[in-house]
Amino acid sequence: MKKLNELTIKEAIAGLGSGEFTSVELVSACYEQIARFDSSIRAFVTIVPKAVALAKAQEADDLIIAQGSSAFETKKLLGIPYACKDNFCTKGVETTAASNILKGFLPPYESTVTKKLMEAGAILLGKTNMDAFAHGSSTETSDFFVTKNPWDETRVAGGSSGGSTAAVALHMCVFAIGSETAGSIRGPASWCGVVGLKPTYGAVSRYGVIAMASSTDSPGPITKTVGDAGYVLDVIGGHDQLDATSAAKVSKSPVKDIKDVVLGVPKSYFASDLQQEVNDAVRSSIAAFERLGAKIVGVDLLDPKYSIAVYTVIQRAEVSSNLARYDGIRFGHARPSFGFEAKKRMMLGAYALSAGYYDQFYAKAQKVRTLLIRDFEKAFDTVDLFVAPTMPVTALKLGGSQTSPIFGELMDMLLAPSSIAGLPAVSVPVGNDAKHLPIGLQLIGPMFSEEQILAVASIFERKRPGA
Amino acid sequence: MHPPDSQKISQEEVKKLAKLCKFDLAAEEVDKFSRLLTDTLGYIAVLDELDTDDVAETYQVTGNKNVFMGQNHPITTLSKAEALANAAEQVDGLFATKAVL
Repeated sequence: MKKLNELTIKEAIAGLGSGEFTSVELVSACYEQIARFDSSIRAFVTIVPKAVALAKAQEADDLIIAQGSSAFETKKLLGIPYACKDNFCTKGVETTAASNILKGFLPPYESTVTKKLMEAGAILLGKTNMDAFAHGSSTETSDFFVTKNPWDETRVAGGSSGGSTAAVALHMCVFAIGSETAGSIRGPASWCGVVGLKPTYGAVSRYGVIAMASSTDSPGPITKTVGDAGYVLDVIGGHDQLDATSAAKVSKSPVKDIKDVVLGVPKSYFASDLQQEVNDAVRSSIAAFERLGAKIVGVDLLDPKYSIAVYTVIQRAEVSSNLARYDGIRFGHARPSFGFEAKKRMMLGAYALSAGYYDQFYAKAQKVRTLLIRDFEKAFDTVDLFVAPTMPVTALKLGGSQTSPIFGELMDMLLAPSSIAGLPAVSVPVGNDAKHLPIGLQLIGPMFSEEQILAVASIFERKRPGA
Repeated sequence: MHPPDSQKISQEEVKKLAKLCKFDLAAEEVDKFSRLLTDTLGYIAVLDELDTDDVAETYQVTGNKNVFMGQNHPITTLSKAEALANAAEQVDGLFATKAVL
């Protein structure tokens, strides 16, 4: 039998609603797991005092006693404990984006995502580690410490939402929240063996999220199952007047049955430097989709190397602008407190935006972005979703992120194109390599096709061999 | 991967960029950043392989235009105490800065 902290959201809700166990017991089980493992894994940068979380759990239990399982109709996550990446402002709970410059910062307001979770009754357990300001794909550039991979502590959890994915993988919480600019949810989800959903850009409010690259930042859920990811998205998604880039009107296509779905396999995503076991696991999953009735077609998409270049320019430019606000006067510490990675990115951004280089780099990158979007649009005339590996390799050894000045971009090669185009995608675990490290597969769809993506991923999750 | 010889970010340029970004660099950092940023330009150089002569820029993907805060939206602002709570220094209920002049 599963321990309480190992439950999925849906299982936890069923148990709480039927009175099988209480939220106090569920929250306590998560704190026990944190106490047991977090000193070595280091998923959390801030842990909410247990008494604070337990008081909220008691309130949830009281409401469930009063209303029974109907309490979950209005509060969809009542009494469910979660962990949140440290770049979401949480009023009165220290929020640092794992950076020294924001150490000690107590936000005077709540991000829309955490506000919606609070209103839905979810209980915050703590804030999770990340690459400082989300600048990275390993969690090694956190200004505080590295989060280790729960499957092998000599390896990185991935990033930048590595603390959140490690916390979910180790059942320190029932679900977690991450954010993705180009791979920061899907990548670490793949390396930690959990489900990571990167919603359509604009589908989930960025209000109160410490900005990295504003034109691609997308908050999203990290969960134990595909069904849970959709459930959390329903709570955190939707238009928000406080975010000018939030999507106001969403036109969704009806969800197709798996037998009517055409899955595109982007040939350039299966390049020769893909780890053989990743290739094999994803290929065998594609064969499983075919057996389930999906039609599989090979598609030529632009080489992901162009997306990396576009992302590198746009991200650094937006970082140099977004981090300009840190003056050390109104909040945060003085600018010398910026870490190495932040300085590097700000300087390249300032360079790309400079008179004389603007057209060569920034404008050029934004034009190639248009080409990438057209490339996807054309492909979506013939395919419903794309299926591809999430990461080219399984989790790297600690220290692996120091091999290249654009390590993150190289690791995120298969994730950057969809992020730049604002598309939704989910990473789901599809097996392990010989070292028992998880392998992730991603499904990418047109804007606002989350329901279709999750429907296909969910059928696969239930029916794949060994599941 | 290396950029064309003409495209390097020199140590002098690194110092200028650091000044623009308002932080100081140690001498050894200047050399290191010069090499790393030049390397990064090498990865970006692939953009030149694509013809973008008649292509417009995409600055955002949502298609939203002229978005204003809704008129009926209750505007909540921070109180003075909340706004000042994270300030490094304050004087008489105001943010304290270094002298500008």
